[in-house]
Amino acid sequence: MSRFLLSSHLQNARHSLRSNRSRTLLTILGIAIGVASITTIMSLGDGASQVVAQQISNLGGNLAIVRPGPSRTNFLTDITVPQGQNYATSTLTDSDVAAISALPHVKEIAPISVINSTITGQHSAPAGTPIVSTTPALSSVDGLQLDVGQFLDSNISQNTAVVGSNLARIIFGTTDALGQTAYIRGYNFTIIGVLKPLNQPINYNNIDFDNAIIIGQDIGRQLSNGSAQIQQINIRSDSAANLTSVVSSINKTLSAQHFGDKDFTVLANSDISQPTSELFYAVVGVTTSIAAISLFVGGIGIMNIMLVSVAERTREIGIRKAIGAHTTDIVWQFLIESLALSLSGGFLGYIAGYGLAFMISTALPFYPSFNWQIAAVSFGLSVLIGTIFGLYPAVRAARKDPIEALRYYS
Amino acid sequence: MTESTNTPVIVLRGLKKHFGVGDAEQYALDGVDLTINKGEFVTIMGPSGSGKTTLLNVLGLLDTSIEGDYQLEGRAVNTLSKRQLARIRSRQIGFVFQSFNLINRLTVIENVALPLTYKGGLSHIKRLKKASEMLATFHLNEREYFLPYQLSGGQTQRVAIARALVNNPSIILADEPTGNLDSRASHIIMEELSDLHQRGNTIIMVTHNPDLTTYASRVITMLDGKIASDTDSLLGQPSVEFKRPLAMVVRPSTDNQAANSQTKPVVTTLSKVDRRKLKVAVRKRQQIAKNRAPARHAEEYHQ
Repeated sequence: MSRFLLSSHLQNARHSLRSNRSRTLLTILGIAIGVASITTIMSLGDGASQVVAQQISNLGGNLAIVRPGPSRTNFLTDITVPQGQNYATSTLTDSDVAAISALPHVKEIAPISVINSTITGQHSAPAGTPIVSTTPALSSVDGLQLDVGQFLDSNISQNTAVVGSNLARIIFGTTDALGQTAYIRGYNFTIIGVLKPLNQPINYNNIDFDNAIIIGQDIGRQLSNGSAQIQQINIRSDSAANLTSVVSSINKTLSAQHFGDKDFTVLANSDISQPTSELFYAVVGVTTSIAAISLFVGGIGIMNIMLVSVAERTREIGIRKAIGAHTTDIVWQFLIESLALSLSGGFLGYIAGYGLAFMISTALPFYPSFNWQIAAVSFGLSVLIGTIFGLYPAVRAARKDPIEALRYYS
Repeated sequence: MTESTNTPVIVLRGLKKHFGVGDAEQYALDGVDLTINKGEFVTIMGPSGSGKTTLLNVLGLLDTSIEGDYQLEGRAVNTLSKRQLARIRSRQIGFVFQSFNLINRLTVIENVALPLTYKGGLSHIKRLKKASEMLATFHLNEREYFLPYQLSGGQTQRVAIARALVNNPSIILADEPTGNLDSRASHIIMEELSDLHQRGNTIIMVTHNPDLTTYASRVITMLDGKIASDTDSLLGQPSVEFKRPLAMVVRPSTDNQAANSQTKPVVTTLSKVDRRKLKVAVRKRQQIAKNRAPARHAEEYHQ
């Protein structure tokens, strides 16, 4: 197709779409809703990832984490399966932790287990408040800073705990909670430290430390009837340069420990920054479904309108063929028209999606992110929908018999 | 009147076109043999259903599902690809329809420029410029940005002719171009076609109006998908002069249809009344031609 013919098709599409403004706008709306949903999901998801990436970057770029379960590389699995392992036995064990800590270039290691139970101080903590069972190394591995007191220490009693600032306020009525006692499953824990407010509800540990209580690993194991359900192992290498070799050795060691089963995932740097929140995945799942349905319905709308347009312009098709248009010229003419519809919808959807994302972000601790990938996905989806749903009407138009078409009266 | 050369542009041999299958099969064209030379103005006449329009569609390459041999400027049509056929329609053939067939949402100038789009190689501006030049020759330059519905019937048909000519086609096919026009507009249109003929174009026109045959250099009459009479064959050689249609073919009357079902169509010479009508038409035409100044009166064309 020559550029002159292309410009003619574009002009023609503009003419045609402008001549039926309300019909065109309604058709565009379907695609716009779909693309807006996708843009919102992606911009917020990426915003969340950037929050985590920033946290990891602040830690010096030498952090690796091990999570139970195989790695997720499939987008569909990523959005449909929640990542927590709360109700399953973790595949990570104490011996894995021991094996990793023995590896060269591993500077510090902190296994994390999360226990669900009730916490009572002067008041009860809300249901689902995480009880984090870990080693004293977590403080340095995750860069946790204390407002008052000290972090866990292996040299002092196991019946001690460090509490997040917000939780301290909830269960003790004050952030100055040193010496207070918290009760968990019949055990008494003396508060020896209160964390500085982090304001990081989204992080790679999937734990909001502002609303968590941290206890020692041994007492945590007792609370879990003797078996530690390790949810994550955080490791810091001695330098950022050695991180790759550390990740590789962890993979080898754990494979040997697990008899070749790849039932664990080792992540480093940017891989860690993928959102881990179950709520996030639930929201993503729902909005993606809405977006997919909306795009499909929008696509059907385009096909419907294009079929109407082809029927209305049957005579025009006959005229164009009689004066020298080839079948492919007619196909392009109608395909470009449907692409104009879907791309307009895509553009409006992209703008509206960001508008929505900014509105939602007022209730979130992060902002939606701007990047070319989101624009490319919006554009790509629009082209795809326009092509898929515009092709059939276009081919149908091109196949019209010119003699029959010239006899047609609308 | 321009002389037609003996270079054949269209050669049909045993051309057949059928519709339907089995018992419902009917031949719209039933063994048409025809040679049309360059520069001829051929009028095709005949009753409804005789196959005139079908023949024109076949000649214009709109209908290619045919039996028999069709050679267009020496090339067998059945050997050409669809793209080649489209290219020929774009560059060598110009269509003029009874119902004008302009695209209503495009302006006059855009309609005229449309064939140039498919011919390719010209920018939008150049296409419009060329269309404007073509419209000027039809004294329609003041109507360039009108929409088709804002024009009179005669003007609309002149726009359609301008569109047919914008690519400088060698053959012009006109399917009852005056069918929707009053007699005054009809004669203006016929003058335009006559002018084109004089400039060397080959014109093939389907009409029901015997008056219009006076403009043609050759009159073909069709009946039941066959050529019933052809002034060319009646006179022996193609003439450079205007040839009066000498014969008209009429269908057997319905009363005698059963009895005559095996007989051939009746060919009769023109009645005295028809001859008189023809004379009047010729005289009218001569009068119009005489009155035509080289630069035509614009008023005449804006009506």
